[in-house]
This record gives sequence, structure tokens and C-alpha cells, in this order.
Amino acid sequence: MFSRRFSLLAVAAFVLASTIGPGSPGPAGAADSTVTISQGVDPVTMDPLKRTITPTTNVHYALFDTLVRHDLSGKMIPWVATSWKRVSPTVWEYKLRHDVKFWNGDPLTSADVKFSVEKIKDPAEGSEQGPRVATVERIETPDPYTIRYITAKPTAMIAGYPWEVFIVSSKYWKEHGDDVGKSSGYEAEHPMGSGAFIFKSWRKDEQLVMDANANYWHGKPAIDHIVWKPIPEAASRVAALRTGETDLITNVPSQYQLQLAGGSKTRLKSARSVRVLFFAFNTLKPGPQQNKIVRQALNYAIDVPAIIRTVLGGRGYQVSSPLPTNFVGYSPKIPFYQHDLAKAKALLAQAGFPDGKGLEMVVNAPTGRYNKDKEVAEAIVGQLNATGGHFSTKIQEWTSYVNQTSSRALTPMYELGWGNDSYDADNTLTSLFTSDARLSTYANPALDKLVTDARYEPDVAKRQAIYDKALAIIHDEAPWLFLFEYEDLYASSKRLVWQARGDELIYCDDMKLQ
Amino acid sequence: MTTFLLRRAVGAVWVVVGVAVTVFLILHLTGDPAAVMMPPDATTEQVAAFRHNQGFDRPLYVQFGSFAWNALRGDFGNSLRHGEPALGLALERFPASFELAISALLLAIVVAVPIGILAAVRRNSPVDLAARVFALIGQSAPVYWMGIMLILIFGVQLGWFPVSGIGGIRHLVLPTVTLALFTMAQLMRLTRASMLDVMQSDYLRTARAKGVAPLVVLWKHALRNAWLPVITVIGTELVTLFSQAVITETIYSWPGVARLAVQAIVDRDYPIVEVVVILAALAFVAINLLVDLLYASLDPRIRYE
Repeated sequence: MFSRRFSLLAVAAFVLASTIGPGSPGPAGAADSTVTISQGVDPVTMDPLKRTITPTTNVHYALFDTLVRHDLSGKMIPWVATSWKRVSPTVWEYKLRHDVKFWNGDPLTSADVKFSVEKIKDPAEGSEQGPRVATVERIETPDPYTIRYITAKPTAMIAGYPWEVFIVSSKYWKEHGDDVGKSSGYEAEHPMGSGAFIFKSWRKDEQLVMDANANYWHGKPAIDHIVWKPIPEAASRVAALRTGETDLITNVPSQYQLQLAGGSKTRLKSARSVRVLFFAFNTLKPGPQQNKIVRQALNYAIDVPAIIRTVLGGRGYQVSSPLPTNFVGYSPKIPFYQHDLAKAKALLAQAGFPDGKGLEMVVNAPTGRYNKDKEVAEAIVGQLNATGGHFSTKIQEWTSYVNQTSSRALTPMYELGWGNDSYDADNTLTSLFTSDARLSTYANPALDKLVTDARYEPDVAKRQAIYDKALAIIHDEAPWLFLFEYEDLYASSKRLVWQARGDELIYCDDMKLQ
Repeated sequence: MTTFLLRRAVGAVWVVVGVAVTVFLILHLTGDPAAVMMPPDATTEQVAAFRHNQGFDRPLYVQFGSFAWNALRGDFGNSLRHGEPALGLALERFPASFELAISALLLAIVVAVPIGILAAVRRNSPVDLAARVFALIGQSAPVYWMGIMLILIFGVQLGWFPVSGIGGIRHLVLPTVTLALFTMAQLMRLTRASMLDVMQSDYLRTARAKGVAPLVVLWKHALRNAWLPVITVIGTELVTLFSQAVITETIYSWPGVARLAVQAIVDRDYPIVEVVVILAALAFVAINLLVDLLYASLDPRIRYE
């Protein structure tokens, strides 16, 4: 009996002892020059050539360099590339800095850029970043600090975005069994970058630590250490900020904005997002949504400013077209669909639905994917029902929802958000409005031609004129309910000096402490 | 005993095979991982290439054959999201989940059993009433709400404990309490009911009539018999704790296997979901076997042949 009791006690003591280990070297009590950042999820890999998930990309931006960056207004600025120009209709040439070194001291050269792009293009790599380099046919490296992208057709520079590729060390990768057409997976946990911060340690779903790169070509960062500590639950992220466990949190729900803006230790940060929320009509399936007049009527029936005010707490901006205002290709000539219920009813009567009679539509929406996605759908349905028609919501979990968007199965209308961080019209219009695009539920050969022409038009003014026409067609045809650009909310500790960006990216080399 | 163990081992194999087939079929019939994994601006050709590279364009029975053959050799494939072996990713998170579940179970036992006994001994007293109210709250309060409340009170307002992540014992307190509450209430009610049942039995009346000291009656005669159903429930509660950890790990940013599994389900990351479910099935089979063995050691009347 004694031995049995003793055994139970021993097991209990062991388990308790195992839980009383030394604390992890977290931010609490760490030096002042440590900044802790809490996103909703952990990065998935340290291989920067595979994924396109923003929380992972943010970590990669601290560890790796790119040829160019976008400033806060979305304008492209030199980074590792000092200049770029079109040297012939199908060739874009970039000149690289001479003083960029990887953490191990190896210089960053054009061979590394070539290697990085070719790895992404390699089908065996299965990289999600393929669309970024889709227009690049091959790469030439005339000298160690010059790189040339050769495209099959004359291409407006933005048509693919190879400059957003993170540059890895080709020598290091090859030393560890990786090459084009061959993958060892070593870099998934052992990165070698040239970025402002040096990878130190990573305990998955717990914390990733990086130290300032004292030899960084852009100057040593002001922060000595960055700790990435994922916190999936929004309420817990807010609590962690309020207790000082973290310095910066992302995806702040709007209901916390007053609490965080008025907090003694917290600051609310916001940026006008590149992400646009809309409801697309599936014009490829039979139903009233195939009638342009019905689509226009429903655009007049909704009161977007009211939705922004009531559902988003004022954190949004109505759009007149699929493009945010700071995008290349945006046309200020396109008017908004102003809320006008009488006009909506008149148009519906013209379309054969007097007082909305006989008009029944399901409004599909995901839940938990975009800020207030479900609530926006419910508000829209309330407003649409004022036409006299019968509208109802069908809310689904994101993974099953996204499967149906990919197969164009959602009909007659469905909610989607689009965040295009290239600040250019091409990605949005090609992906969502051209007949062959996987996510497009609208087909119009005239629009296809305009979007393709713009992609390959090198002259800036002519390209804009093409987009003006394309956006006018989209406005008139109304294949969407045009809603709003989000305003992204972040919150930080008062000691952190940092500015939120509209493209959801976080650059740690910009950060300072007060 | 050997026969019993052999029979249970064979049964365990069938359970795990059944679980593996079920999880494989459910995962492959509920959606296309390419739709979730590939970026929205990927072309149809790029999505097709992804499916081909991952072998999702093969007939389902071929995919299952390949999965089963590799799984038998301990290879569950690479995570679609992380690009690393799924087995390694799951195994490295199990200790954190185990730590949380065991701590919660111990806390539940340490609190629930004495209070359950006290409530039974002092039936209908204020102590009993308080214990029953506590049990009611513990079983009816949602884990999510309770977790957030504890964070706000003990983390944000009082500043006693960290509100997220793993570390020393201070990090363990709030998630352990959150996770333990439901089980604590369950065990308390069961201990009380079981004790009340035993205390009304004839052999206890006989013991008292013989003049055995009250504490000895309670400890040697009542408690040892009341323990049996409690032990059984403790085993199943450990399983419950692992499943409830999904919410607790998310609220407290605890780097356990449940959080990994939830994210993998959201991402349709088949290899991770498969390996986590199969490992969990193995763990549950082992726990059930342990409970059965413990049962026999506590009750001399039970012999496995």
C-alpha cells in the first residue's frame, strides 16, 4: 500500500516539477531594446520562397531583402536595387547595390536574385509565389550587380512583380542540398538572409527571436531584438498588449478601438488598407443576377456609408470601383453608386420585378475571414430587403467557402475581400474580372481585351487611358456590389514608434523606441 | 493478464486503423486543399500543378494506399503549409499539451475529491450547498468565456499572471485553471454522489456499529470503494481535457498540438491532421488501458484473464 501511494505521489511530484521550469526568455524583463510583435498566427516557414501568407511574409521582411519596397503611399522605392529601367521592349534591367552582404559575410549578387526567382518558377518547388514571376521568361546576369528580367511579350513592369521576391543566398542553399529542381527543406528552419535582423531561435507557435544585424547595409536597426509571439485570439492579443507582454498587435477588432486609443499604455494605429470588400454577382450561373439592370439596382439599394459607420465603427472608405484610390490604374472619373432606394425600385421594376416581387436571392458570406464579414452581409441583406425583394444570408466557414469560390459555385452573389499589395490595377482586374480567371464569375470579351492590353502597355498615360475605359465598363456592368476599402487597425505600446501600412506589412527596421 | 493485454493490443490496432481510414476519407471528401493553400491569384494551371505535385490528382484509393504504406513506416508526409515532416511538427507540440492536460487533471483531482468528500459527509450543509453551486458554475460556464474572464481579472486588472504563451509555472496557472474547471466540477459531483452511495451501504453501517473510528470508516471503507467510479471517470476526463484544450490553447496562445490541429484543419493541411488524429487515438487507447489496469489494482475483485 505504501509503495502504491508513494508511486502516485512521485508521479505527481514529477509532473509538478516539470511544470516549474525556468521561464522562457520572453519580453517581460528583457532589455528596453526588445520589441515583441503579436500577430494572429506564427510564421509557417523560414523559407521565404514558398508562401504568401502575410504574417509569415512580415517575419521574412525582417530577415531578407527585396529589390525594391513600397513606401507608405504605395510608391516603389529603391532597396537592394538602386535603379531600374526598360532596356528593350521585353527586357527590364535592375542595378544592385554593391554593399549588401548576407549574415555570413557573403556578398549579395545578381546570381542570388536569379537563383531566388528560378526556385520560385520551378514547378517542383510548389511555391505559392509563382504568380509573382509569371511574366518572367528567363533571367540574365550580365555582371554580379546587374540583373535582367526577360519577358515573352513587352510588359508593363507591374504585370508580374518579381521585385517582391525575397533574395536568398544561392551558395548557402546549394551547400545544404538545395538547388533549382532539388529541395532539401533545410532552409525551412535555418534561414540565411541579408536583412536587418539575424535569425536567432524559433520555438514554433511560441516565439521567434531575431537580433539586429550590426552590419546591415541600411544601417543598424534601432531595435536590438525582435520577438514574434503569436496570439491567435484577438481578445487575448488586446489583453497581452495592455499587460505589456507585447508591443504591437495586428488585426484589432473595431470594438476595442476606444479602449486601446484611451489606454494609459496603449496607442491605436490605423492605415487605409489595400483590401477591398465586395459582393460579386455570379453572372455565369442562371438567375436575375445575369441582368445588368438588377445588378445596378442593388448597388443603388445599399447604403455603404451607413454600413461603414455602424458595422465598422467608421473604419472604412466607400469605393466606386474595384481599386483603392492610391493604385496605379485608379480612375477618379468613376462615380459612386449613391444610396437611392427609389431609383433602385424603379430599376427593378424596369427589370421585371415591380416592388421587388419575385426577386429572391441568397447572399453568401464567410465568417471569420475578413473583419466583420458576417455582420456586413447581414446589414446588406437588411438594406436589400427594403427593395421589396427577398434576400437571405448563407454564412459558411471559410475553408468550405473558399472551395466554392474556386469552383465558381457560389451563386447568385457572394462576399469576398481582395488585398492586392502590388498597388497596381493588373492583379485585381486580371484575377477577378477576366473570363478565364479562376475567381472571376463575370465574362466580357471587351473587358478581357482591355485588361490584357493594359498589362502589356508600357506607356504610362496610354495604360491609364485603357484602365479608365475598363473601369467605366465595370461600373456600368456592375458585376459587384461595390462596398469599401477597410481601414486596418493595429495597436502598440506607447513606447513604440511605428507607422501602420495599408498593405498589412510590418517593417521592423523602421521601428524605434521612445 | 497476458491474454488480456494481447487482446487489448489487437483491439487497439483495429481502433487506430479505423480512425486512420475515417480521418483520411473525411479529409479527402470535404474539400480541396489547393483552394485554401494556393494564393487567390494563382491560375488554374498553377492550381493543377499544385495538385499534381502533392498527388491529389490520383484516384482516392491510390492516395490511401500510398498514405497507409508510408504511415506504416512512420512517414506521414510533409505538412502542406510548413513544408516539414508532419510527424515531427506534431510530436514537438505534444509535450506542451501533455503538460497542460496533466496539470489540469491534477488540479481538478486535488480540489474536487476533498470537496466532494466533504460535501458528502456534510450533506445539505452550507459547505455542500457551496460545493454544488461551484459544480454548477464549473459545468455550465463556457471555457472560452471563463478563459477571457480569468485573463481580464488576474492578468490585466491584478497583473498576477501572464496572459499568453508558455514559460514557468506562472504561465501555467491561468490555462490550467481554465481547463480544469469543467473536470473539477464533474469529479466533485461524482465523488460526492459516489461517497453518498457508499456511506449508505450495509458494510459501512456494520463498521460503525463495530465501533470503528469515523475517520477510519471514511478512509478505509468508504473512500476506497467510492474511488472506483471516480478513477474510471478520471481516465475519460483526461481524454476530455485533451479535446477541450483546443479552446484553452487558442485563448492562452499555448503552443500545443490542439492549436496545431485546428490551424491544420482550417488550412486543409492533410498530413498534420492525419498524424495528430492517429497519435491522439494511440494516446487514448493507451490511457484507457492504463485505467483498466489501475482499476484492477484498486479493486482486488477484478482480475483480467
